[in-house]
Amino acid sequence: MAALVLPAALLVFTLLVAPMALLARISLNHYSPTELMVEAFTAENYIRAVADPYYQQVLATTLGVAFLCTVLTVLLGFPAAYWLARMESNRKSIATILTLLPLLVGNVVRSAGWMALLGNEGGINAALRALHLTSGPLQLLYTPGAVIVGITAVVLPYMVLTLAAVIESIPRQAEEAAANLGATASTVFRRVVLPLSLPGVAAGSVLVFILCMNAYATPLLLGGPQFKMMAPAVYDQFVRGNNWPFGAALAFILLVATLVLTVIGSMALSRRYRG
Amino acid sequence: MSTLVLDRLRKRYDRTTAVERVDLTAKQGELVALLGPSGCGKTTTLRMVAGFIAPTDGRVLIGDRDVTQVPVHLRNTGMVFQAYALFQHMTVAQNVAFGLEMRRVERAEREKRVAEALRLVRLDHLADRMPRQLSGGQQQRVALARALVVNPAVFLLDEPLSNLDAKLRAEVRMEIRALQQRLGLTTLIVTHDQEEALTMADRLVVMERGRVRQIGTPEELYENPADVFVASFVGNCNLVAGTLERPGSFRTQSGTLLPCTSEAPAANDGLVLALRPERVTVTPGEGAPGDIRAQVTAVTYLGAQTEYHLDLNGTTLRASRSTPLHDDPLRRIAPGEKLTLSWDAASARLLPAETETGDET
Ligand SMILES: Nc1ncnc2c1ncn2[C@@H]1O[C@H](COP(=O)(O)OP(=O)(O)OP(=O)(O)O)[C@@H](O)[C@H]1O
Ligand SMILES: [Mg+2]
Repeated sequence: MAALVLPAALLVFTLLVAPMALLARISLNHYSPTELMVEAFTAENYIRAVADPYYQQVLATTLGVAFLCTVLTVLLGFPAAYWLARMESNRKSIATILTLLPLLVGNVVRSAGWMALLGNEGGINAALRALHLTSGPLQLLYTPGAVIVGITAVVLPYMVLTLAAVIESIPRQAEEAAANLGATASTVFRRVVLPLSLPGVAAGSVLVFILCMNAYATPLLLGGPQFKMMAPAVYDQFVRGNNWPFGAALAFILLVATLVLTVIGSMALSRRYRG
Repeated sequence: MSTLVLDRLRKRYDRTTAVERVDLTAKQGELVALLGPSGCGKTTTLRMVAGFIAPTDGRVLIGDRDVTQVPVHLRNTGMVFQAYALFQHMTVAQNVAFGLEMRRVERAEREKRVAEALRLVRLDHLADRMPRQLSGGQQQRVALARALVVNPAVFLLDEPLSNLDAKLRAEVRMEIRALQQRLGLTTLIVTHDQEEALTMADRLVVMERGRVRQIGTPEELYENPADVFVASFVGNCNLVAGTLERPGSFRTQSGTLLPCTSEAPAANDGLVLALRPERVTVTPGEGAPGDIRAQVTAVTYLGAQTEYHLDLNGTTLRASRSTPLHDDPLRRIAPGEKLTLSWDAASARLLPAETETGDET
């Protein structure tokens, strides 16, 4: 039996663990503008990343966007997931496919769509002008709001499907029992459905938070040149700056921040679930 | 605690009619069982009383108040579900306290009543367990306590025993009955187990395809079934088609004359003789001329009871009696031998023949 796990284990090792180890090593090297990467064993890249207000801002923006998008997807996703979970089975499979459909559109293509909609000459501004509601164009594209809307739209299906799977496992009769005992619809939700869905909220949030933290194409295209999140910043260092050590350090900071926050978050949620 | 009245209750779905018409009055403190084959509309009826399903027609009255339009959470019924439907994220005590919280019972009073209810179902020692840490029977009793603790006007149970094994079922059945009587709860229980219905209920409602076939006490239904469906569904019954030869004598389709009651329904032709197997006395030996003789086709030993499958000139009959003792000649009766049959004529009741009979009996 153990032998059957071997191919997968090997794959994970060569594709994930080995590159990460390599990256970790690179992050400790020294960068010189003339020789590029110089073999060393220094924490200077981490110190610089943490101390530099610019990168502090980039990390803060990334955390803020990821947090907001996660909260938004929970709020938007819950009603949809509940509706999906409680649907009759023959219609449910169609609705599930429809939920997955947006994932068929790649992030770049989708962002291009948002640009066409949000741009100064885009669909929304054109409509507002036609209705004489605005005189000049509204700045919609290249704003944090555009990025948050864009990322939320990308990750929403993951949240809906994760939540729906958990809500489906809550027996409808538990809701009926609560109503029978005198609970109004909102109390049934607050006292029965929500607590029993918390594992799903935790799982969905972790998934979505990780996706948001690592968002690349959407912030790049919808946020414009002034708006920076971590994943594009890492790319900049590797490709434009040719500063591999600093890029690797940024990548690790992103990884650790994501890990720490998801662990704390899911622990807090699961404690509430038990309590 | 109140009376419960179902007034011409009806539920239609797009293509099917789940409940065609149910009229029923359950008196204060009475336990009424809805009995019938699968799909006859028992659950639908119960759920209309609880308010989960809106009837197409008719009314539900609880204690003279028309609650047909009242939402579930204001009806004050206590329902026990087939799969218990406990709140998995709450302890046993929290489960039981839920209904009291909804009624804004203050904390001290609530704790007292929860403890009382748990004592009633003998679970006070498990108050802090989670539902998943309980056996099926214990979960069932939590569900009972949770429904009872709020003093519901009507107590509703949908096949509450079907997930329990046979021994536990008999035990919990007695427990539910004792609780219900002690608290004087007006109760509607759904079951398709006729033994359960007979042993628990004050009155039974036998349903078939959304209609009420007969309402009566267990004794009334067993001794005096209104029709062939009820006779066959409640207990075992020999049903022999034929006609009335003259008052007190029934002619089977194969021509044999059998003694029967003198009370015959209006239609003389197309009758069915209904005779409970245990009312047939079998004796070995020749008997006197004119006695009814039948050939044994099979003998089924059931421990306390023994069943004799008999052939009476082409008419099949079953007789059952307590298993004869070792030295009784009946004990050695084997298929192929002959027996003499007799019964009290009044036990052989006459029912109108049905064009359509129940499908699942
Ligand atoms: N939502 C629904 N839509 C359409 N038909 C339904 C619906 N619910 C129930 N029915 C039909 O109504 C009839 C009665 O159903 P009901 O559940 O009341 O039966 P039951 O007597 O409780 O049966 P069982 O002993 O199997 O539980 C069945 O024929 C069923 O198929
Ligand atoms: Mg049912």
